[in-house]
Amino acid sequence: MSESERPSARSRRRRLCLLAIGGLFVVSVPWYREPGATPEIWGGVPDWVAVSVLCYAAVAVLNAVAWQATDVPDDPGPEADAPGPEGRS
Amino acid sequence: MNFGIWGVVALLFYLAVLVIVAEVARRAKRDQSPADHFLAGRSLGTFVLFLTIYATAYSGNSLLGYPGRAYRDGFSFIMATGFMMSIIVVFHALVPKLRPLAVRQGFVTPGDYLRHRFREGRSRELRQVVAVLMSLALANFLLAQLKAMGDVAELVTGGRIPYEGGVIGLAFVILFYETRGGMRAVAWTDAAQGIAMLVGLAALLTWLLSEAGGLSEITRAVAAKSPEKVAVPSFRVSTNWFSTIALMGLASVLYPQAIQRIFAAESGQALRRSFAGMTFMPLATTLVVTLIGIASIPRFDIVNEVDTDGVVPLLLADWGAAGGLATVAALLVFLGALSAIMSTADSCLLSLGSIVSRDLLGREGSDAAATRLGKRLAGALLLAMIPFALARELTLWRLIELKMELLVQCVPAFLIALHWPRLRTGPVLAGILVGTSFAVGLTFAGHARIAGIHVGLLGCGLNALVAVGGSQFGRRPAADAPSGEGGFGNGGTTSGSPHAISGKPVKNPQEI
Repeated sequence: MSESERPSARSRRRRLCLLAIGGLFVVSVPWYREPGATPEIWGGVPDWVAVSVLCYAAVAVLNAVAWQATDVPDDPGPEADAPGPEGRS
Repeated sequence: MNFGIWGVVALLFYLAVLVIVAEVARRAKRDQSPADHFLAGRSLGTFVLFLTIYATAYSGNSLLGYPGRAYRDGFSFIMATGFMMSIIVVFHALVPKLRPLAVRQGFVTPGDYLRHRFREGRSRELRQVVAVLMSLALANFLLAQLKAMGDVAELVTGGRIPYEGGVIGLAFVILFYETRGGMRAVAWTDAAQGIAMLVGLAALLTWLLSEAGGLSEITRAVAAKSPEKVAVPSFRVSTNWFSTIALMGLASVLYPQAIQRIFAAESGQALRRSFAGMTFMPLATTLVVTLIGIASIPRFDIVNEVDTDGVVPLLLADWGAAGGLATVAALLVFLGALSAIMSTADSCLLSLGSIVSRDLLGREGSDAAATRLGKRLAGALLLAMIPFALARELTLWRLIELKMELLVQCVPAFLIALHWPRLRTGPVLAGILVGTSFAVGLTFAGHARIAGIHVGLLGCGLNALVAVGGSQFGRRPAADAPSGEGGFGNGGTTSGSPHAISGKPVKNPQEI
């Protein structure tokens, strides 16, 4: 994850992390469980809560990796600096 | 809850520290420009930036409103950890594109980006509509903090300072240090307040767990008293969970004070590191306050919804009643809560002053007069809010939801505009008007959600459809007619001013 790493590799890792984060958000919500069911206790909390917390912990780690792989330049290229279509003539 | 005279002494000591910080920040000012006052001269490094983002994001709502909501809903409010996490994820869509533009163009407010991005047609109206939505959201947020300040001041002093005195007195303290020290004072006090909040929450949860005999015992006690608060939630709650994650993620990145911290960072690297650290804070804060609310379920019987915001003060009262070290610790948590509330209120006020003066009234100068106007407007707005804060009927949670439904309507103007060059002014303005009318109309008609989905989010979808559809298929202005060159990013020039927002020339005017 060094700064000298190739930009394409950093960008690919960032995209993969964001994709995985999307999947974890879907799993974190217990829509796939039977509503009203009495849960078991895992780690001191209902099992569906434990799954959610584990998903959010994983999101935190992956998101930190994604931010480390994100380029936040202080100087935009000319393309990024252009306004919308109406601003051009 | 009564800390006796020590509550008053601790509160006065804390306020004295804030006043000293304001004076130090005032002396650190480089000039009287809006960029120096509202953005600390774009000098915030990783550590202070991280703590100021943290203290601003986690407010009185987080410390008082969230435990109250967890007390009412039970374990399903674990969704709060998810939606706070989603905010730091959605920032990926904003920061890498917006930050370099802000540096180059010298943006001070969100409206400065709109001025740069949307230049023709009804661009002024678009900026004003966005400024109105953001100002309403900020005013809403500020109102929630003022109410929470009054509650905490009353509790911490055992009623020696009444609710009304707390609201008015603390509002003036905030106004003092914000107008004296600007963003520097706000960021430095935020940093100290962030640390106080983290330590206080950890201490409170540790005490709760040791009192109850561990997390498993708390869960069993909740299940025995209210089994529905432990059971797998209904499909409707799950739908609302997804909706809240989307609503909070999309809307929260458009908090003006959050956007202004992107502008105020000393470098892109400082921003990147701050956000990498921020991604863990929902686990250290939101999860903790949710567990605190859940641990309160077996302890208290609160019937009135409004009173559930008082769960944390009730817990602290129990804790403090033990005397000795426990009383001191409970007092420190109270001050941590107060500091969290004040840190959010000061950030709202600073942003509100800058947005109303620059984006709404069009005072875009970079001189001392523009800064003075922003300060005066902030003062006037704060005074205007106080009478509303003295009414105590609304819960903090409802205030949060209302502001999100307004803020999320700004998504196309920022998040889509940054990534899709063809987005045009007219359709974006039309989309915002349609989406806002839809969300506000249904909310006032008593339908805040449809099948568990927030009407603000549905309005945002409608809004985005109008903005994107209108830009793609609608009639284009003459200036936008294809000419074989001048396409986005292929060497075209613009009809806009060759000057940055700050009034200083940009490095290469041909590039705009």
